[in-house]
Amino acid sequence: MSAQPTVVAEGVSKWFGQLVAVSDVSFDVGPGVTALLGPNGAGKSTMFRMLCGLAQPSKGTVRVLGRDPRLDVGVTRAIGLVPQQETVFERLTGREFVALAARLHGLGEPEREAERALETVGLDPADPRPLPAYSKGMRQRAKVAQAIVHDPQVLVLDEPLTGLDPRQRVDLVALFRRLGEEGRCVIVSSHVLAEVERLGSRVLVMSQGRLAAAGDFHDLRALMDDRPLRVRVRTDRPRELAGALLERGAVLGLRLDGDDSLELDTADARALARALAPVARDRGARLLEVRQLDADLEGVFRYVVEQ
Amino acid sequence: MSAVASGGARAPRTATTLAAYYGLLLKTQLSPARVLGIAALGAVSILLGVLTRFDADSAQASADAVGAYGLGLALPLATLWLGTLVLGDLVEDRLLVYLWLKPVARWQLPLAAVLATATLVVPLMVLPIAVTPLVAGAPEVVPAAFLAAALAALAYSGIFVAAGLWFRRAAWWGLAFVLLWENALAYLAEGFSRFTVVGWAGAVLEGASDVSAPVDAGSLAAGVVVLVAVAVAGWLVAVVRYRRGELD
Repeated sequence: MSAQPTVVAEGVSKWFGQLVAVSDVSFDVGPGVTALLGPNGAGKSTMFRMLCGLAQPSKGTVRVLGRDPRLDVGVTRAIGLVPQQETVFERLTGREFVALAARLHGLGEPEREAERALETVGLDPADPRPLPAYSKGMRQRAKVAQAIVHDPQVLVLDEPLTGLDPRQRVDLVALFRRLGEEGRCVIVSSHVLAEVERLGSRVLVMSQGRLAAAGDFHDLRALMDDRPLRVRVRTDRPRELAGALLERGAVLGLRLDGDDSLELDTADARALARALAPVARDRGARLLEVRQLDADLEGVFRYVVEQ
Repeated sequence: MSAVASGGARAPRTATTLAAYYGLLLKTQLSPARVLGIAALGAVSILLGVLTRFDADSAQASADAVGAYGLGLALPLATLWLGTLVLGDLVEDRLLVYLWLKPVARWQLPLAAVLATATLVVPLMVLPIAVTPLVAGAPEVVPAAFLAAALAALAYSGIFVAAGLWFRRAAWWGLAFVLLWENALAYLAEGFSRFTVVGWAGAVLEGASDVSAPVDAGSLAAGVVVLVAVAVAGWLVAVVRYRRGELD
């Protein structure tokens, strides 16, 4: 944690009728890059909306530079946001879009500042095409340009790498890291673990509206590497197969599921794969299906939350 | 990018930001379909003026056309189309965030929306309404028709910009308002015209000329004050919604 946090959320909850989108989340973030990690629907975007003042917390408080972003219009000068939505102004070029942001932020030379921001994200300021004619990756970069044109102290990026090709991802990740190293507070959301690994070491993990974990990415990674894998096996002789696998010590645990299925927990998927076929052959069992469960990010987060 | 500079940035000037909002909203509103649709409504008004030219009292006949069709139907429909969409489109497309998250006083965007709507309605609808008495052969009614239409356009702009922010299906609410409130009730319920824009626009039309309007709610001075007040009230209601509303 930073000694002087730039962004502070205290006991923040947000609900829409009966639906709880964010539940009692507290954290503080200082200069540098912080990744907000979580599966789709975890509440990341709702949290970002509250951080930027776009939505009022149902409970709790959000402060940016010690000020309430919902009520204090002036603090928006210090915030740059790349929202998740893909829609853009249909009749504006990239340059007009970014220059508009510069003008609304009161920059002295909006056109020049727009040029600079566009060049920073690798877009041609002289491109005469309207934004809808851009590729998805170009539109995404234009959104980043409008967010950084005024050199904000706090940069909130909601899935900013969506739609970018690998080269563009590398460039933007480098830009975000540089902005963080220069002293800005950069908060980036993502549901892709590999992206987060490249962005920086500090992570906040959200799952089902709650803050599931906060800390160093490498600790989280180690926790995930220790995570047992769950594999479903469909076979015509589940009991015989289960007994043999337990005998060989190939699984940490197992559960019979119906007449033809087993769910196996293993710490070593390769060892299980090596053991499974010979054991099945020895017991005369036919393997109808072998499928890894919990391989998606949702499963990873569930495990992290359980820990 | 240079080092962090936001701490030293100055507050943007009101004229600059208002002009930026206004220019953007004008640009986003100007689609060929909208221009042609509203111009068609205006053309019908002029056509009515041509037809009333053959009336024995062409001045009164043109005033009837201006009051019943222009002020009561075409003008509110045109303003409804533009006014509810000027900010409503940004809400629907989730683009308002790019304008909201700026160090700009919250009253500016709704004001720019009202002004942008009125700016488009004047050439596309107010001018054809004002020209209607001219082609009818009653040029003396032109200033009154222009004044009544311009003030009504301002009032309707305020109402429909606010509706665009408050209601999800603002166009349908607006259509019901125009047909039921501004027409059926204004004409059929005695004394109700005092609560309608068309009634006070009729008051301006009647008070500024020697013709009588189909509906008339009071004096010329009261009409001017009420119509401007309605525009201001609509703008303020829009500001309240813009300040308090939550954005996607």
